[in-house]
Amino acid sequence: MRKILVIDDEKPTLKMFRLFLIAYGYEVFIAEDGQTGLEIYKKESPEIVFTDIKMPGMDGIEVLRKIKETDPFTEVIVVTGHGDMDLAIQALNLGATDFINKPIAKIALDSALGRADERIKLAGIQGNEILFQNRDNLTTIDIKGNITSTSEPFLSDAFKNASEHDASNILLRFDEISSVNGAGIAILIKLLSASRKENKVVAITGISENFKQIFEMAGITRFAKIFDKQEDAVNYLTVS
Amino acid sequence: MERMKNNIIFKKISEASLNRKIFISTLAVILLISVLIALFTRWILISSLTLELQRRGLGIAQSIAESSRGYMLTQDTPKLTSLIFDARLGERKFLIPYVFILDKKNNVIAHTFTSAFPDGFHMANSILPEQNSSIKLLKMGRLSVYDVAFPVTEGIYQIGVVHVGLNKDHIDTLIGKLRTTFVGFVSVVTIIFFIISHWLSNYITRPISELTKVSDEISRGNYNIKPDLKNKIEGAGSEVMLLADSFINMTNRITVSQIKLKESEEKYRHLVNSGPNPIFVIDRKTFEILDANPRAEETYGYTKDEFTGMLFTNLGPFEYKHSGLSPAEDDWQEPQVVNSKVQYYKKDNSLLYVSLHASPTRYKDRDALIIATTDITEMVEKDNQLIQASKMTNLGEMSAGIAHELNQPLNAIKMASEFLEMMIEKNRKIPEQDLYDVIKEVSCQVDRSAAIINRLRDFGRKSDFTKEKIFINEPVEGVLEILGRQLRLQNIEVELDLDETIPPILAHNNRLEQVIFNLITNARDALNQKQELEEDFASRFIRIRSFRDGERVAITVSDNGIGIPESLRERIFEAFFTTKEMGEGMGLGLSISYGIVKDYGGDVDIESKEGLGTTFKLSFPCAL
Repeated sequence: MRKILVIDDEKPTLKMFRLFLIAYGYEVFIAEDGQTGLEIYKKESPEIVFTDIKMPGMDGIEVLRKIKETDPFTEVIVVTGHGDMDLAIQALNLGATDFINKPIAKIALDSALGRADERIKLAGIQGNEILFQNRDNLTTIDIKGNITSTSEPFLSDAFKNASEHDASNILLRFDEISSVNGAGIAILIKLLSASRKENKVVAITGISENFKQIFEMAGITRFAKIFDKQEDAVNYLTVS
Repeated sequence: MERMKNNIIFKKISEASLNRKIFISTLAVILLISVLIALFTRWILISSLTLELQRRGLGIAQSIAESSRGYMLTQDTPKLTSLIFDARLGERKFLIPYVFILDKKNNVIAHTFTSAFPDGFHMANSILPEQNSSIKLLKMGRLSVYDVAFPVTEGIYQIGVVHVGLNKDHIDTLIGKLRTTFVGFVSVVTIIFFIISHWLSNYITRPISELTKVSDEISRGNYNIKPDLKNKIEGAGSEVMLLADSFINMTNRITVSQIKLKESEEKYRHLVNSGPNPIFVIDRKTFEILDANPRAEETYGYTKDEFTGMLFTNLGPFEYKHSGLSPAEDDWQEPQVVNSKVQYYKKDNSLLYVSLHASPTRYKDRDALIIATTDITEMVEKDNQLIQASKMTNLGEMSAGIAHELNQPLNAIKMASEFLEMMIEKNRKIPEQDLYDVIKEVSCQVDRSAAIINRLRDFGRKSDFTKEKIFINEPVEGVLEILGRQLRLQNIEVELDLDETIPPILAHNNRLEQVIFNLITNARDALNQKQELEEDFASRFIRIRSFRDGERVAITVSDNGIGIPESLRERIFEAFFTTKEMGEGMGLGLSISYGIVKDYGGDVDIESKEGLGTTFKLSFPCAL
């Protein structure tokens, strides 16, 4: 049974989390503030931590930071209020696994738990794999893992390959558990705008709903269209 | 009775005309003097005459005495008798009614009485030892005579007394003549002076009567008599001329004053009639309307006739506190603002807000009040709009906080329902306790949301015109329900020290909430500003205290933030004054709050130390 710690200053929320997570089969610990949460974390070493961001006393960002200091592999999921995108990005930059918005829908909860689980299974992914494929006039760049500043050389290479092959359309395929932080987004934008200048058409698929939102916010959609289903992305590229 | 009579007489005398007074007094004086002179002279003459007579008598007696000496010694009675008869010869018969001689034994030796010698007569006048002679007034039947007794002496021995009678009638006639003369004299003088004084008094008083006539004319309003006046009093003497001059000056001045008064009256009538404010004159006791200006007719929709006799309180509430002074003293008081911001009604029952100014006056012999009702409807409405706008700004500021606030219950509800859904879909049994907890929680959170929404709605509402009794702890608690979580999230501790026993005040709940909201957000901003300067600013707090302060209710909001510098302390209540960056606030909050507090009769005090913190103190009068 995996251990989960939930930190939130709202008692009703904690109650609901507890019910849900116990039903999912986790061993649940709850804390009403950051300080207590960290104490429990130190004692129990849960693998997954849910923390509310906006709390009196120590806030969620601080909690995230402290946890990452102790053990960077703990999956921390931050809970944000509606529209706190800035905080979400900040959390992602600090290594948060994911973020979910209040009011929390089951789907979002499941998705976050899913990612966390997967990443724990594939523990140790620090870098990432970037694969380049060219088939049937379709260039596919597969991106696995976390996109951070260290990914830059790999990504640049991949795009360079694409240019050398005179690829006119590119499919960027992410995996479900990938996450992109601020630096990663900046790199993507740089590469994508360059592609646009070369009149290449780019489609993105495979990212989680949350990251789709972040990409949209960051303006990546100016340079590439995002598709939920891979087929739609392929059709789009074939047509254009 | 006597006193009354005296009083009447006294009154009659003092009221008698000057003319008569001069006349009578002149006459009286002259009369008195003449009479005195007459009497004096008479007295002198009479006494001189009497003396003369007596001397004469003495002379005669002496001569007879000397002549009769020899005869007495020789006791020659016939010669004696003949002697004394001789003394009465001719003219002297009338003057001397008798002569008789007494010897040393007081026997009558000779006399001239044709009838018998009256008894005891010879003893009537005796010469006293020290005297040489004696004169005594005796009565002889109807006759008054001076009896002159002269001794006959031989050497040093008295051998007899000669008595000579002198007819007093003689001088009496003379005196009588004298008296008549004098009376005649006095009468003539009287008559002459009667005429003279009459003329004199008229002469003196005529200019005065002229002046009086002129004065009467003037008081009737006819100011043109002046030119004649001088002519009529020509020659009356410089004093009277001076009076006339002064009088003419006075009439000039009166004319001028009259003109000025008329102008002033015109001016004020004009002001009242064309003034922008409705003005009423009402009876001070009954509040009956005595007069109203055209603007009043326009504003309220009644005609002047409809106004006259109407009670002023028909239009709206009115109280006049009698200052306790007598009406006359009261007139000199300053005008008072009696009610400000009262609701008044027009004829068609529509509403207007007025500010009343009253001052005491007299109007046609009644104690009255002049009341101006200034229409402040527009101002009140604009005020309300401004407060409302400010409130909206506040609400806008709060929107992020509100969203967060509402999100919490929604989250709990969402998670609860999804949990139940999941459990049912997976056909799993939900432990009864859990089910109960979940359902209760959902209901609870809905209530919580509803409460938050209600709070917001109340806050945003426009208040009614009428104030209510409010316990000042209420708005504090209300605002903290909205802001409390936000403050906690910003690590600001809110300390409350609210006295539950303080009396209520007259105010509107949501306007007070606006004021307190404003103070708390200002405190929060001050704390945040200090935070920017001092990184390790650890314990940030806002302390709110409510307590009874003498006759008033007070509430303080304190923070340990950045403080207000002395130089700015006066400006912070100015509209549009702010120390915040552009776009972070218009600077209306405190000025509106100040206005609201003042509206309720309250006061605002500030204590602040730069860098240490600020305390705002609001105090309000207790509702009675």
